[in-house]
Amino acid sequence: MKRIAFVFTQGPHGGSAGREGLDALLAASALTDRIGVFFIADGVLLLLPGQQPEKILARNFIATFGVLPIYDIHHYYICAESLAQRGLLEADGWVLKGEIVRAADWRQILSGFDTLLTF
Amino acid sequence: MSLRYCLMVTGPAYGTQRASSALQFAEALLVAGHRLDSVFFYQDGVYNANRHTSPASDEKDIVREWQRFGQTHGVALDVCVSAALRRGVIDNPRDGGAAERMGSNLQQGFRLSGLGSLAQALLECDRFIQF
Repeated sequence: MKRIAFVFTQGPHGGSAGREGLDALLAASALTDRIGVFFIADGVLLLLPGQQPEKILARNFIATFGVLPIYDIHHYYICAESLAQRGLLEADGWVLKGEIVRAADWRQILSGFDTLLTF
Repeated sequence: MSLRYCLMVTGPAYGTQRASSALQFAEALLVAGHRLDSVFFYQDGVYNANRHTSPASDEKDIVREWQRFGQTHGVALDVCVSAALRRGVIDNPRDGGAAERMGSNLQQGFRLSGLGSLAQALLECDRFIQF
């Protein structure tokens, strides 16, 4: 079975990419558990705790990231450089626990996947 | 070697190059002897199925180009239904709601489909290309 990677690169509420990527991820999880989820650039902001998107008329889909392990998705990778650039290396309480990896390792892990979707 | 492709289009018919690049790529891969199982339209890509899209007379009509392409080569044009409804691309309006009053604007040749078929295509194809 192919390994599928979902890469999140955009912040949570300025566009719908994060939310629609999450929907696609959930749909794929129904057919396979060989899935990896990657967060890089503003995509790391998807996992920040305490978001209140309803205040800007956006829907709160963030909590769904927190329950992804229930859908048998267990591999999460967060780009360390992206966190550092945003002053978030020391942050905690993340919505989803992921492995924080340096960009070079992040790329190495990603190369182990057959198919890539970017949101 | 002939490969089975699946394409995903995430840009609108007008406004970005995503759709036109995807269309050209789709045509090129068939010329090269590969197979294209389906094209999946997601995010703003669903606008490719809006038949109200009215380009100027000296511009490519991407919406009708997709229809022609799908028909000529027997390629399914799948539009994500949840992304489409949110963006006002609708088909077979029912239930007396606002959609029924507005009527259908799904271009002939496209079909509304679920994310499940994207997932299926992802697993079955040899190459998945996102535009």
